[in-house]
Amino acid sequence: MSQDIRKWFMKKHEKDSGNGSASNQAKPSTPEKRPGKMVEEVQELSGRRKTSKYFAKDGQGVKDEMDVEEAPAKKTAKELVSNVKPPTGKRTLKLENDDDDDDFAPTSRKSSVSITPNKKLKSGSGKGVAQKIADETNEDDGEKIKSNSKSGGSGRGRGAKGSSKTSSMAESMDVDEVDAEDVDNKDAESMKPAGRGRGGRGAGAAAGGRGRGGGGRGGFMNFGERKDPPHKGEKEVPEGAANCLDGLTFVISGTLDSLEREEAEDLIKRHGGRVTGSISKKTNYLLCDEDIGGRKSEKAKELGTAFLTEDGLFDIIRSSNKSKPAAQVPNKRVDKVATPAPKKSPQKSEKTKQAGSDTKGPVSVAASPKRKNQPAAQTSLPWTEKYRPKVPNDIVGNQSLVKQLHDWLVSWNEQFLNTGKKEKGKKQSDSGPKKAVLLSGTPGIGKTTSAKLISQMLGFQAIEVNASDSRGKADAKIQKGIGGSTSNSVKELVSNESLSHKMERTQQQKTVLIMDEVDGMSAGDRGGVADLIASIKISKVPIICICNDRYSQKLKSLMNYCLLLSFRKPTKQQMAKRLSHIAKAEGIQVNEIALEELAERSNGDIRMAINQLQYMSLSMSVIKFDDIKQRLQSSSKDEDISPFTAVDKLFGFNAGKLRMDERIDLSMSDPDLVPLLIQENYINYRPSSAGKDDNGMKRMSLIARAAESIGDGDIINVQIRRYRQWQLSQFGSLTSCIIPAALLHGSREILEQGERNFNRFGGWLGKNSTMGKNYRLLEDLHVHLLTSRESDLGRATIRLDCLTLLLKRLTDPLRVLPKDEAVETVVKFMDSYSISMEDYDTIVEMSKFKGHPNPLDGIQPAVKAALTRAYNKGSSLRVVRAADLVTISNFKKAPKKRIAAMLEPLEGSLAEENEEGTPSDDENQDDDLDDLKKKSVESNLESLNSKAIKVELELKGSGSSGAKKAPAGRGKGSAATATSNQRAGRGSGSGSGSASKRKR
Amino acid sequence: MLWVDKYRPKTLDKVLIHEEIAQNLKKLVTEQDCPHLLFYGPSGSGKKTLIMALLRQIFGASADKVKVENKNWKVDAGTRTIDVELTTMSSTHHVELSPSDAGFQDRYVVQEIIKEMAKNRPIDTKGKKGFKVLVLNEVDKLSREAQHSLRRTMEKYSSSCRLILCCNSSSKVTEAIRSRCLNMRINAPTEGEIAKVLEFIGKKEGLQLPSGFSDRIAQQSNRSLRRAILSFETCRVQQYPFTINQAIPPMDWEEYVSEIASSIFKEQSPKRLFEVRGKLYELLINCIPPEIILKRLLSELLKKLDMELKHEISHWAAYYEHRLRLGQKAIFHLEAFVAKFMSIYKGFLIETFG
Repeated sequence: MSQDIRKWFMKKHEKDSGNGSASNQAKPSTPEKRPGKMVEEVQELSGRRKTSKYFAKDGQGVKDEMDVEEAPAKKTAKELVSNVKPPTGKRTLKLENDDDDDDFAPTSRKSSVSITPNKKLKSGSGKGVAQKIADETNEDDGEKIKSNSKSGGSGRGRGAKGSSKTSSMAESMDVDEVDAEDVDNKDAESMKPAGRGRGGRGAGAAAGGRGRGGGGRGGFMNFGERKDPPHKGEKEVPEGAANCLDGLTFVISGTLDSLEREEAEDLIKRHGGRVTGSISKKTNYLLCDEDIGGRKSEKAKELGTAFLTEDGLFDIIRSSNKSKPAAQVPNKRVDKVATPAPKKSPQKSEKTKQAGSDTKGPVSVAASPKRKNQPAAQTSLPWTEKYRPKVPNDIVGNQSLVKQLHDWLVSWNEQFLNTGKKEKGKKQSDSGPKKAVLLSGTPGIGKTTSAKLISQMLGFQAIEVNASDSRGKADAKIQKGIGGSTSNSVKELVSNESLSHKMERTQQQKTVLIMDEVDGMSAGDRGGVADLIASIKISKVPIICICNDRYSQKLKSLMNYCLLLSFRKPTKQQMAKRLSHIAKAEGIQVNEIALEELAERSNGDIRMAINQLQYMSLSMSVIKFDDIKQRLQSSSKDEDISPFTAVDKLFGFNAGKLRMDERIDLSMSDPDLVPLLIQENYINYRPSSAGKDDNGMKRMSLIARAAESIGDGDIINVQIRRYRQWQLSQFGSLTSCIIPAALLHGSREILEQGERNFNRFGGWLGKNSTMGKNYRLLEDLHVHLLTSRESDLGRATIRLDCLTLLLKRLTDPLRVLPKDEAVETVVKFMDSYSISMEDYDTIVEMSKFKGHPNPLDGIQPAVKAALTRAYNKGSSLRVVRAADLVTISNFKKAPKKRIAAMLEPLEGSLAEENEEGTPSDDENQDDDLDDLKKKSVESNLESLNSKAIKVELELKGSGSSGAKKAPAGRGKGSAATATSNQRAGRGSGSGSGSASKRKR
Repeated sequence: MLWVDKYRPKTLDKVLIHEEIAQNLKKLVTEQDCPHLLFYGPSGSGKKTLIMALLRQIFGASADKVKVENKNWKVDAGTRTIDVELTTMSSTHHVELSPSDAGFQDRYVVQEIIKEMAKNRPIDTKGKKGFKVLVLNEVDKLSREAQHSLRRTMEKYSSSCRLILCCNSSSKVTEAIRSRCLNMRINAPTEGEIAKVLEFIGKKEGLQLPSGFSDRIAQQSNRSLRRAILSFETCRVQQYPFTINQAIPPMDWEEYVSEIASSIFKEQSPKRLFEVRGKLYELLINCIPPEIILKRLLSELLKKLDMELKHEISHWAAYYEHRLRLGQKAIFHLEAFVAKFMSIYKGFLIETFG
């Protein structure tokens, strides 16, 4: 296969280069002019930027310094360029042709690598290698690429590009770069908005004087700490040519002006740039809009990295688009300085460049015939099989673990077989080498592959038992060798001495048992793990167990018997490398950024990444960043989208571009929570569809519509849940999420001072549970009222009508009356209605309204405490509440005994209170009369009393000393006690007569 | 003890308003077998009082021996068992409960209870009534299913069980049930009647009422006798020797709703809507039923609203109330109403004043 590909590549390249050179020769002169013109434009551009604010006068000087600081490799390269530069034109052309050969004929390439001394050549070879990944022998070259790319961001970017385009393209790039370099050298101060590679650097250096800083670092995860972009969503995000940022490395720092961090990153990646987390030498730009002076900016200054504002970024992108032939290309070309190689006439480069950067059109045209040429030998084998690693070194990541596995397997025989069977048990117990190994890790990172590969390499015959085999506990007797289920054969296998002996003797057919997916041993495999452990104990062959979740409960016991090897997810770079090998072998053009994105999206699962790649290759031959992003958006639903992310996306500024199925996916990511979040936050969004909306009328009516739709969603939800109409669920998510979001998506604003500009969590859940709690409490109160002599008030009635009065009766006395009297009054009232202290709190709690004074205001804490005490003191006397049988009171012939039994009064006062409950009782009649008679006296007393209180309050208000206050209070208290009984009696109804009588 | 309870008429003979109805009821149960009854009328009109008095009339004093209990029903509904918990008040002769408290499972409650009652016929021989009475409160809040299941069981167990249904609006009770019951419409008492009652209470309490005071309370009571008595007592607690123009304190929540209404009038913006949402939540949390909130809010809004808009706004209020009942999350619909109002009102303002 690889042979085929190589041949095919060669053929292709011959053709391409032929074309290229032809065209080059056709018009060798035009490009000569170009640089000059371009420089002009560049200057113009830079001039424009200069007028903006940042340009320091000493840009030139800084730049020079920059040059000094540049990586030596680069510098030498530059020197080389300048050396070679003067004679451009035909000579370059010749050189370039040579290079062409180098690149595409493997044999000659090798030689050229060895001959050509400089950086340029290295990179050239790197490029060449990139195309021949399938060639296993190229390991070294691969390494080289890596080192190459390490040496400078530009080099790396180029590599990526090389792989993404046809080789001829990549090559032309070189030419381009040469020219660019040329220009760069001539005009040191050239300022390239669309900076690439070195050119960009120069610009950056000049700008470095600005002293703009970047903020502290932080991924998206903790972006909560970061402020929101001040002008979020206000700027139009430009669309530029696809690869206008190709090869540039950005670091984003701090808060940008209008873009969220993530959006900015997307934007850069979409245009072929790379975004890294921290500043290094490779970094071309530090993207930041305000000077935070954090670590990043310091480091950037130190390294001389260019600073770029968001507007600058937009300019770069915009200019790449606007001026396709005129401005953009030159910019581009200037940028392409990365590897200086005096090659090729620029003519061709321009052509291809245009093709590459402006539209995909030409490229894909160029590519499609190629694909046709491709040997139909493309077997239908899935790529995951086709490119399964053939040697351990092919395994992506986890090399040390692979090595460990390898060593373990190598030493197994000596460890366990040569020591004699009898010692095995003992061996197991000490912490010596384990007899089995447990590989763990998420799916698709090559566990099974490594296991198989290693055993194959060491000449073991791998016997794989996976979840598709029944792995239950073997019958005990089977151990003796009766065939049957797999477990039996496993037993047989591990205990088969003759087999192992034979293996030992012949030394050629060794066996290893791979138990795949051991954590999948479940219901069907009863006792599977225990049996496995037993097997390990007696085993005469090495056993490799593989699982996904190493911390699974089932495997706890197994872990003691195994050497634990945890596979980690490979990094995205590692994966991207592998993927680009494959892509190259299959003739797909993908740039590295895109592959990294793919790797990231597939969450370390290389199998999935390859599958995705294969799938995409069916429909396109050039895969761009956006394609991957788009494609994997739908497949990324496999992983969890948090409701917040979903809502963010639905309401996002660009939510209008989402497809319907994407919206449904988002809203279905959590069909319960997303609607709540939507409902909570929809008011906060300033809809972009309202456009210019000076009086807010449009927005208001949109909100009304959205609110109605949300209401629809609720109604549908009732239908779904209550009547199990699950077929409505899509409609439900449409009405509850998608319509409101579609109406109101835009930028979020805050409505409350000090609120953070992030979607709030749905308030409904909390409020609903509080409401539920309050209803329960109210129900308690209701029941208590029912169990008192009072009966038939409904729950709602109590809340709506009675609560105000109840509250008054419960709190007013505490405010107005002297302490003891007040407490007594209130407790009496509470008792008469079986209101407990909890109910008291309930009543108070339920009368609280935000923005209204607390109903307990004005009540001294001491009084409240006294009330609690007084109530608790009497609590032993009240058995009523618990009793469930209580007569309706006030009925003429209420059987007294019954009540007494129910209330079980232990003290006279309470008994009397109960009697009061039946006010029309004969004996109470007289009291009532007494009461009436006393009325006038009482009212007098009361007025006096209240006066006394007033005095006291005044005293308190005037802040007089406690010494003065105390006696006053006491005196009044005693004065009041006389009236207190009467008053209390009156308060609690006519029955009070008995109480007052008693006291008398 | 609150005056509402203290001066509640205990027998049919003692009622002060709806005397005619009371007399008819008395005749009904003394002369012949009692049919199913449906009492309907606004709150505070005396339905419950009449029902309790009626029960006493039928069963005598034993109707007063009630127990309150939290009952648990395990209902076998096909594939699963449903646990329903309800507070009931029952004597040997009657059971009283509000099945709508069980939410959408009210159907099972209705079926179970009626079955249970049919199963244990009263053994009480001296009571000589061959039936028990089931008092169902808030039937208008029953779900449609519950009402349907009620209608069949009403007939099936009619030999052993009488239903007394009590609700505010008969329009929310299905036709089928209404036709099976003797409908008793309990009007809201007129303001004159209310004033009469208040004066009666005042006399009993030995209070001196300034002239016109009871009328004022009656006016404010929205023709609810209970409200009138309660606010009467509230006034009493607040300040005794009554003065002529003593302020009659409004209900706390009503005050809050009117605050919401005025804040809506002041500004129509998302920000304001957000604040209103918070306030509505506050009301809901304090156990004010959403329908009541909506109704009250509407009437507060209508007070200050331009004539042109009244009809439209009322229409939308009705629309959203309907949806409120269909739905489950009340706040959504309340908010939708407020948003709708804001949108309409803002449009109106802009149109009128530019």
